[in-house]
Amino acid sequence: MRGKLCKKINRKYPNHQNRFQISLCNLMSIKSRRVLPGFGLALGYTLAYLSLLILLPLGGLILKASELGFGQILDIALGERSLAAFRVTFVASFLAAGVNALFGLIVAWMLVRYTFPGKRLVDALVDLPFALPTAVAGITLATLYAGNGWLGRYLEPLGFKVAYTPAGIVVALTFITLPFVVRTLQPVIEDIETEVEEAAASLGASRFQTFGRIIFPALLPALLTGFTLAFARALGEFGSVIFIAGNLPLVSEIVPLLIIAKLEQYDVLGATALAVVMLAISFGLLLTINLLQWWTANRHKNAGGGKP
Amino acid sequence: MSIEIRHIGKRFGSFVALDDINLSIPTGELVALLGPSGCGKTTLLRIIAGMETPDQGEIFFAGAETTHLHARERQVGFVFQHYALFRHMTVFENVAFGLRVKPRAERPAEAEIRRRVMALLGLVQLDWLSDRYPSQLSGGQRQRIALARALAVEPKVLLLDEPFGALDTQVRKELRRWLRRLHDDMHISSVFVTHDQEEALEVADRVVVMNHGRIEQIGSPDEVYSNPASPFVYQFLGNVNVFHSRQQGAYAEVERGESLENSPGQATAFVRPHDIEITHQPADGALAATIVHVHPIGPVVRVELQHASEIVEVELSRERHEALQLTVGQPVWFRPRQMRVFDVSQPPRPAAEKQAFLF
Repeated sequence: MRGKLCKKINRKYPNHQNRFQISLCNLMSIKSRRVLPGFGLALGYTLAYLSLLILLPLGGLILKASELGFGQILDIALGERSLAAFRVTFVASFLAAGVNALFGLIVAWMLVRYTFPGKRLVDALVDLPFALPTAVAGITLATLYAGNGWLGRYLEPLGFKVAYTPAGIVVALTFITLPFVVRTLQPVIEDIETEVEEAAASLGASRFQTFGRIIFPALLPALLTGFTLAFARALGEFGSVIFIAGNLPLVSEIVPLLIIAKLEQYDVLGATALAVVMLAISFGLLLTINLLQWWTANRHKNAGGGKP
Repeated sequence: MSIEIRHIGKRFGSFVALDDINLSIPTGELVALLGPSGCGKTTLLRIIAGMETPDQGEIFFAGAETTHLHARERQVGFVFQHYALFRHMTVFENVAFGLRVKPRAERPAEAEIRRRVMALLGLVQLDWLSDRYPSQLSGGQRQRIALARALAVEPKVLLLDEPFGALDTQVRKELRRWLRRLHDDMHISSVFVTHDQEEALEVADRVVVMNHGRIEQIGSPDEVYSNPASPFVYQFLGNVNVFHSRQQGAYAEVERGESLENSPGQATAFVRPHDIEITHQPADGALAATIVHVHPIGPVVRVELQHASEIVEVELSRERHEALQLTVGQPVWFRPRQMRVFDVSQPPRPAAEKQAFLF
């Protein structure tokens, strides 16, 4: 089959022994060597699907932004209001992901290592932020933390104003991104044998040393993955934030909201410029964290190592 | 350091893992805990290591009570069946771990740590692998690293939980011999758990045979093999043929077709396959049988005989087999050279000395 096709291609273009033909033949040779059928079909679908969903819209975005010059994009992005919005978005997302990295680790550890009544219920609750419409979460949190809400009533006299401030954004983002850290850590914690902890104890390590030197290094790659996912999710979050943020320009306005505000004023180019900058920064951050995570995961697996 | 175990008991829910265990291990001895899976041998080892707490009883290390001491304060080296190496550390760091976690005042200087770790790696003949990661080693190498790691803290007691269970036969044999040498060089007390009788008999000074949370017999390898204290030990250590028989005074008469149900002197006779003699002619006290199978296995030939409704296993040397010229379907006679009789009610001790028999 492969030989026939290659011959056919070669017959049709006898003088075009170009790279394309060679690589096409190679591709087919990969295909014919597979035991699992459907490689070509699956690859085709994957590429079409990803193009349609990701490459096409993003390409359109960049195309639109190219109507503006690089300097103009920077001008829009570095405007006072946009700069504040970028700062609020990234700082709040980073804090939320950080809070979840810490408490998500505790929750995941609890869910894996201990048995307690209602464990399955707690396990199911972790997924709730996935399922709940984000607007509902936003309204609920805003009501709770407002000056006359159940929690806000006691927090505000103490000087903690949460609703309609940047702190509210962090709260909403923390709620939304909780499942990411927990769900990434759970399988990894399950993989850590209790024997390793016992070995450390029999060698004289204290609990703290066992955690710091044995368990934490094993969890770090997964923790970074969870953090990245939570961070990425938080950057794009809109629904839950706008209800609790108060949306004061320069104080508690997030970038997605600013983009909408610009669109409503028919400033499509301005919105596009912000979107492209957001895209570039997000992509850069994700890439960095992924590289970091890849490095942590592979640093003790040099070439030639098999799985134990 | 000597270990003294007194009246140790442990339950997991309604399952009795250990039932009133008493055992004393003098300094410098290499003891094997031998038994089938679920007999409580690993639980006992973990209690000695402090990784499990007993429900009752006490443990003394060199005369001092250690029953409630935490694992990290017991100064025991523990080797796991699946190595439990730290995957994210190099071989060197794995072995150095025990030294690095010592309190600052006791921790050796970096140069001293390096010297000691390299010496230990030399001892296990793996110093050339010091900067590899565990995932790059073979099973046998990993277990040797695990041993080096356990020895780094200079333990007074070395505990090994099925240390060679996950390895190939060839590697296992080599490591066994090597463990024995290591134990003799280090002057420590060692306890290792195994379900492999050959391993226990070959390596240990003393074998503790366990079953259902109890100790069935304690003795030298030769003692437990040639003088088993109970039917269980007989059956667990090596192959054995079981004959239902009747006790008559000092004799045991093997069932010859007639039912022995409810007869008072019921007993069971145990005969090792290599203690049975086969002849072509009927002899005094011999039983008739037919040959069902002849399997030459390495240095021995295993012959299966059909006697009444039962299969009798016999092991012959190659020379003996060649002299006899046995073929399948041939009628032969067999009689045991040596046997052991236990009451059917199975008391822990054998029913008197009935080595003489009427077969």
